[in-house]
Amino acid sequence: MKKISLLLAMTIFTIGSIIAQRNITGTVTDNDGEPLIGASIIVKGTSTGTVTDIDGSYTLEVPSGSSVLMISYTGFNSQEISLGASNVLDVILEQGIALTEIVVSGQGSGIQRKRLSTQVDVIDAEAIDKLPANQLDQLLQSNAPGAQVRLSSGQPGTAAIIRTRGPISANSSATPVVIIDGIRVDNLNSNPELGINTGGADISALADIPVESIEKIEYIKGGAATTLYGADAANGVIQIITKKGRPGQQTAFFETRLGNIQAEEKWLRFDRTGEAIFEPGFSQEYKAGLSGGSEKFSYNVIGSLYKDDSFNDLNEQIRRSFNFGLTSNMTDKLSYTGSFSYTGFEYNLDYNANTSFSRFSAAEGGAFGNLDDFTDEDWEVFKQDLRDRGALTDITQRINRLVASNKLTYNILPSLTANLTVGVENRGSRQQEIGTNAFQIQIGSIPAGTTDQAYLNRSVRNVFTTSGDFNLRHEGRYNEFDFITIAGGNFFRTNDRQERLEGDQGVDGTSSVNNFSTRTSEDFLLENANYGIYFLENIGWRDLLFLEFGGRFDQNTNAGDDVGFQFLPKIGLTYNISDHDFYANSGISSVMNSLRIRANYGEATNFAQPFSQDRTFVLESFLGGPAFRFDNPGNRDLKSERVKTTEVGIDLGFFDYRLNLEATYYDATTVDALFTPDNIPSSGQLEQVTNIGEISNTGWEFAMRANIIRSGKHDLNINASYNYNENVVESSGGAAPFNVGGFLVIGTWVQEGQTLGFLRGTKAVENADGTFEFEQNAFLGNSFAPHFGSFGLNYSYGKFNFFATADYQFGGTNVDLSLLLRYIRGVETEGVVPEAIAGRPFFDLVQYFTDDSDFVKVRNIGASYDFGSILTDKLKNVRLGINMTNPFNWTAADFDPETTGSGVGNQNGFASGGFAYGTESLPRIIMGSLKFSF
Amino acid sequence: MKKLIIFSFLLAFMGCSDVVDFTEVENPNLSEASVVGQLNSSTIWLSGIERQLSLLVNEFVINAEIVSDNYTNVETFFNQFLDELAIIAQDDDIADLQFDLHRLREMAVFGKEQVGPADENYTAEIEAEYNYFEGLAYMYSGMYFTGLPAEAGGVPLTDAENYAQAISLFDAAIALISKPEYHLAKARVHYLLGNQAEAVSAATAATDASADFLRFASFDEQEEPDNTMELALYERGTFDDLQPLPTLDFLDPKYSFNTAQVDDPVYYLKAEEAWLIQIEAAIADGDLGTARTIMGALLDLVNARGTKSVDDAIEGRTERNPKSRPDSSCVVVNGRAGLVLDRNEVDMDGRNVLVDIPNISGTSLTQADIDSMTDEDTALEILYRTRQEIFIAEGLRMVDMGVKFVISETEQLQNDNVTAGGIGTEAQIPSYIQNVANQLDAITYDPGTCTATTVVNVTEILVANKADKAVLPFN
Repeated sequence: MKKISLLLAMTIFTIGSIIAQRNITGTVTDNDGEPLIGASIIVKGTSTGTVTDIDGSYTLEVPSGSSVLMISYTGFNSQEISLGASNVLDVILEQGIALTEIVVSGQGSGIQRKRLSTQVDVIDAEAIDKLPANQLDQLLQSNAPGAQVRLSSGQPGTAAIIRTRGPISANSSATPVVIIDGIRVDNLNSNPELGINTGGADISALADIPVESIEKIEYIKGGAATTLYGADAANGVIQIITKKGRPGQQTAFFETRLGNIQAEEKWLRFDRTGEAIFEPGFSQEYKAGLSGGSEKFSYNVIGSLYKDDSFNDLNEQIRRSFNFGLTSNMTDKLSYTGSFSYTGFEYNLDYNANTSFSRFSAAEGGAFGNLDDFTDEDWEVFKQDLRDRGALTDITQRINRLVASNKLTYNILPSLTANLTVGVENRGSRQQEIGTNAFQIQIGSIPAGTTDQAYLNRSVRNVFTTSGDFNLRHEGRYNEFDFITIAGGNFFRTNDRQERLEGDQGVDGTSSVNNFSTRTSEDFLLENANYGIYFLENIGWRDLLFLEFGGRFDQNTNAGDDVGFQFLPKIGLTYNISDHDFYANSGISSVMNSLRIRANYGEATNFAQPFSQDRTFVLESFLGGPAFRFDNPGNRDLKSERVKTTEVGIDLGFFDYRLNLEATYYDATTVDALFTPDNIPSSGQLEQVTNIGEISNTGWEFAMRANIIRSGKHDLNINASYNYNENVVESSGGAAPFNVGGFLVIGTWVQEGQTLGFLRGTKAVENADGTFEFEQNAFLGNSFAPHFGSFGLNYSYGKFNFFATADYQFGGTNVDLSLLLRYIRGVETEGVVPEAIAGRPFFDLVQYFTDDSDFVKVRNIGASYDFGSILTDKLKNVRLGINMTNPFNWTAADFDPETTGSGVGNQNGFASGGFAYGTESLPRIIMGSLKFSF
Repeated sequence: MKKLIIFSFLLAFMGCSDVVDFTEVENPNLSEASVVGQLNSSTIWLSGIERQLSLLVNEFVINAEIVSDNYTNVETFFNQFLDELAIIAQDDDIADLQFDLHRLREMAVFGKEQVGPADENYTAEIEAEYNYFEGLAYMYSGMYFTGLPAEAGGVPLTDAENYAQAISLFDAAIALISKPEYHLAKARVHYLLGNQAEAVSAATAATDASADFLRFASFDEQEEPDNTMELALYERGTFDDLQPLPTLDFLDPKYSFNTAQVDDPVYYLKAEEAWLIQIEAAIADGDLGTARTIMGALLDLVNARGTKSVDDAIEGRTERNPKSRPDSSCVVVNGRAGLVLDRNEVDMDGRNVLVDIPNISGTSLTQADIDSMTDEDTALEILYRTRQEIFIAEGLRMVDMGVKFVISETEQLQNDNVTAGGIGTEAQIPSYIQNVANQLDAITYDPGTCTATTVVNVTEILVANKADKAVLPFN
């Protein structure tokens, strides 16, 4: 009876609720009346909500007793509106001004952008969503205005050289620290120490950073912006903030992208190289997601599958990922946000660049002679030989990466908040190379009929990183001053364990090392912990003038025994002049509505490789027995190198922010720079990294964004950036010049008075009488291009959108190594060098194999159309898109200056680039996409 | 309740402080305490020195061979400057050679002073070897450099001073235990100093101890160091890095595939040299009869060393520049037949025909040649041609040519005792060698008539300049 009563009561209650509900309908648009698709409308205090459809329309059932709706949309100021008598509510949202945006990176806790004196590049979800890229470096390329991102190979999983304010270190790569929701992740942008050398193009951990669920990317470029990170943040920090869902009705989406991949053959010396090695590929990607929630709890889940078979006849890659993010407001005071992501990535590689096994570099470098000289008949035979080599090539890579982040926020007082972030990352990778007897016979390295010379190399790397941060944030006000005080401490710890197994003298048909008659192994460990306490004071005066200062006491386990805590200071000033009443009331503001100046000074560091401070010995295996040797000499005074950056800038907004200009000048000096020159030979000791160098980087950064057309349904935005960097090694501490890349004949070097990683080789100087003199070890050019930037446009007409992105560089020099090899091999000699010295040994002629590395490359052109609902109302927000990646490019030279087969010497070592050699360019991809929600 | 929670956390934190200590890191590598003061460490240290010698041999063999007329470097992988005798302080390979020399010395000294005395199982034989290796470091310093420091950042010693150090260390080794190679090393140093009587005495002591001894540097193909010269001559296959002078074709490749575990060794001190010193002394004394007699014994020894069958078809002398290098047994070089081998012959079953290459010592010397040693210059020419053949790919021809390197820039910039123009900062290249620097390994070749000719005959030039102190030390 009780049960029946309860059921009855519930039924009556439910019916009563239905009767009391109101159906509210309306639209959400921007100032120009354009519909905002996907805007969130929530009944305040409930989990009831919805999102707008393709026309910006919505319908929402509002329970009785509820009278306030909350409307929000990314990039627009949110509104809370009380319901009146009408059941129709149309809302116009004001576009948010970038300066009100909250910046998390480098501040310990979120701070409004207008209070900051440092620059941050932000790439939002909308921009990311448009791009077909599934690698972080590809997302940044041409979208981060101050970054120079050079993808060094078209091979899957390979590394990009990323740089912003010039090369600041001779000791490490320029790759920024990568953080996902406050958690450091593996950013190794070179082969691991025990990695398998496939010739040149290095694999990269950037290739498998999960990018499927990004809310936004913040990119800070070092200096004062990164002071609070300490440790190794001098190259900048890329912070990925993932989606956690928004309050509102649960929505699901599905997206598929199908593409055609064509090799870029523009720079091939021989068309036949492409004919033998390239074949069009097919890419397919499927993504599905679910998000929703209430004010108390929201969530976002995305899974994706990607596969392509590339443009090279043997490459293939498969990526599987899963991301989950949530926000929970557990109590009025305590909230939790968490995220978890998994990426599984499998691909295989071809040999490339500096190995005789490479089909591509051998063909283009003339190792097979002039391919055009083959008769058609001979060519068919040889082409098949090359294809057979490809079919027998077996280099595979498997990666599993897990990232988990947890953040608790507790509002102790309305003005005092405690934040705790803890998380872990685990990235396991396995590289494997199998050289079967059949493969070795095919490439001619062992005689036909050999059956017992197969080999297997396997490199396993596991990186586990723990990160933690705790800080207190206080906000206060005193008369015309307001204060934000942040104080806290953080740490991270990384364990990088590597093992390499090698099997030799095997037969074919196995991928287990157990089946090889000789087996060897080695291991490698890097272990480091970094920790410190930091504080930051941001003082505002009448919301016009902001002074920020702070610092970090930094310590890490990579320093020598005689080195203690290091203090890294920062200070900055921001003046929003246009916020003065007198300015707002003046006539100028109608033209230049925003004027802001900023200046700051800050220090950031890079640490040396773990354990490089210790004196060590090694027991080698020599002829089957043990053999000692000296190893690292040790350095008790080893400490992080320190980059001291001063920057000043001005930000201007014209015509109500329709034209925005930003200019920044920076002066960054790396003191105590970590150099690893050869030790004095008479000591008989190996090189030891020491704090002896000084490197200077100065430069300008300009960025422009403009809304050219805003008329009716037309909306056209353009953006452009230009950056200039001047780099010089101010001091090498008395050390001899040392090589950091390339070859003996022509390499990249560190030498006092020159740019870091300049090209050094013999220079032929022509005298007036036509004779030549030869200057050895001369400057032959900058391997870095000091001028670079990006530009793009975004045009929409109603539901149609078109965008394009491009980037460029000039002022640098690259070595065309393939041409050099063709010359040496007698395949291409006509007109390459002046006739008078054509008989000279080629090492006197290397300058004739260098050329400008200038380029302009259009990275993406895309168009999409939003159809709204198709077939059924349940299928909403249907969007069809098409995208072309790398469709057009221009280069000054006959080679692709972006691809570089010159690998990085050491794990995370200096990446000079500068050598166009032996690896395929990025392919041209045409991709169609379909996305809808339900 | 709150207090209880806080107390529980504090208790857990204090009790598990080890668990939450994230700053603990441990370098897994060996510290000094793991090497010095451990039982048998002197033996393991000695193996390390042997290994270091192999690294050093790799450095001087490849570069000295490129300097000499023995090989021309046709690829980019090895030093391109030295082939033209462009000896500069900035040359990385010269810096590496200098480093390995000093490292050998430092390892020997560390063994003698630290590792040995702290090891209960330290023996006189190990101590003798430490002295011997330290002596080798000084010997090679004198052979390849006009001057080098004897300690980190020290004052450069002249080549003669380095030789003097070597002799005293070889004597110290001999005092502990007598080995023929110790005597030969001493003989070589005296020979290079022009001390004929002492050289002959030490050489005789060596051959008296053993008439056919060999001391060699070993190479670990699997764990490294592998044999760099083998890499250049054979392992890099279609990269024909080093091409021998056609007169030496029958001796190439001296090193080839051995096993997956070990590479062919380099016999850096062998009885042949002791005989050659005695022959040269006899010629210098005008005793050509004795010279011919010992030469006959030497020929017997060389012939007894044997050969190794090698599949060298992959090398393909003419692959990239057809007809650029002699590759047929029909070729007559400088009027002499039989010096060039067929490497691309296949048998009736289609298999590559193997070629037989001397892998310790080889020579084109014949009894007729020996019989023709009837005047001093003819005898010297045959002797130095034989030295060139016997020592090919061992790094000695450059020394016979009187060429020496300079102290590297890396040292010069960091060592205040090295002054511009001072000891060790100038290369030694005899003018008569400098004059033909670009022609050292040049040839003319007409495949049609099967004729090849070397543009210059370096042996002839050396004998013509025998009065110069830099070459032919007994003359």
